Amino acid sequence: MDPIKHETEDPLPDINPLREQVKTKIKKLELLSSTGLWILALFTMLSMGAFRNFDFLPPLSDSLRAALGTGPPVKYINGALVVYGFSAIILILTQMASDKKPRGALGHFGYLGAFYLFYHFSAGLAENFWAIFAVGLTILGLHSYHVWNYYHERIQEQTEILHELDKLMD
Amino acid sequence: MFDNLIARAIVPVTIAVTGFVIFGCLLLYSFIKADLTASAFLTANNCADTVVKSTKSAMLEDNQQAIQNIVENIGTRADVKLIKIYGQDGKTRYSGRNDFESLSTTAEAHIASFLDSELGQTEVQRHEIDHDNGNLIISLPIFNEPQCSTADCHFHADEEEILGFFSIGISSHHLDETLTLLRNRMIIFSVMVLFLTVGGVTALLRMNLFLPILRLTYNAEQASQGVAEADLPKSDHKLGKLNRDFRLIVKQRDQALLALKALETPNRNVDNGSDQA
Repeated sequence: MDPIKHETEDPLPDINPLREQVKTKIKKLELLSSTGLWILALFTMLSMGAFRNFDFLPPLSDSLRAALGTGPPVKYINGALVVYGFSAIILILTQMASDKKPRGALGHFGYLGAFYLFYHFSAGLAENFWAIFAVGLTILGLHSYHVWNYYHERIQEQTEILHELDKLMD
Repeated sequence: MFDNLIARAIVPVTIAVTGFVIFGCLLLYSFIKADLTASAFLTANNCADTVVKSTKSAMLEDNQQAIQNIVENIGTRADVKLIKIYGQDGKTRYSGRNDFESLSTTAEAHIASFLDSELGQTEVQRHEIDHDNGNLIISLPIFNEPQCSTADCHFHADEEEILGFFSIGISSHHLDETLTLLRNRMIIFSVMVLFLTVGGVTALLRMNLFLPILRLTYNAEQASQGVAEADLPKSDHKLGKLNRDFRLIVKQRDQALLALKALETPNRNVDNGSDQA
């Protein structure tokens, strides 16, 4: 038996399923890369509501308001906002520097929403709205950029794999 | 690829610095505005107290004309927009000036809240600022004092704690002007800080990182086209070992090429000799 002939007759493994897998992964990564923008859009909508002082929501009943108690003083919320804003920006920059998977966008959205609510209940929302909006845009904008950057790199890796597979097909 | 590298280095810094500077300025402006407004209210409160004290002797003598004159004279000041003294029932007794309907409505709301509130809360003065119309208003109760309750002509019982209310509305024009000036200065300062920070970071990155990488990229391109190590442009030492190792590789390649040529030449001579033979 001729060994050379035997080698040429061996069928190549079918790489189409692998190509499909890579393509699906690219699509998934493309979807994930836009999640930062979705959170940013959600925050903008929340801010529009806060700008109107949540007048579209029904007012809280007296009993619920009494149960919640009086809001904290505005100066304490301001202090907390400064600490939060600074920490969140440092945290995202650290994530970016270490090329870690971006996490915590919903958490940031929750924190910012809580700040809007605290200011609302302490009657300081009108004075401090733009401060929360600016810090929110910064944090979520930075996070969104990190998400886009991170997944864009993963997409590039997968695209290169796909090109290699296409070459094998040819 | 290189453009992306620049963008990836500068965009996060720009977003973080710009956002935090804007946020810091907005919050700082909010703090200063609150402090200045509180200071303006304190001044207005002192003025209101002074007016009440100045009418005291006229009140003790029940000299209504004198009280009206005092109120009218104070009302002639350009920065006074409203001045009113209310009775215990909340009805206007003396009025010096009433330029703005909105101020009058606010003053009446203050008096109504005094009348509705518990005894302890009446001691707290009421104040409000209307930045749109440039006015601030302050209302305070006029308390009963031993001199009032023991006066011969104008008797008030001991248990009547509040004898009336006083409201004064003054222009917040100076306060608003100061705030506008402060805001404009903060905007200018923030823009300067932003330019310096982002420009400084960009310049440092460009000088210490991007330009050396650009030079190395150019050298790599030249080397790939066959330029010898000795002919490559001299590099700075900012990339350290990477640059030295790259030049070493190119040098080794040059030496290998020379060695290959040296090997090829005797072979060719041998081939030529065998052909001639």
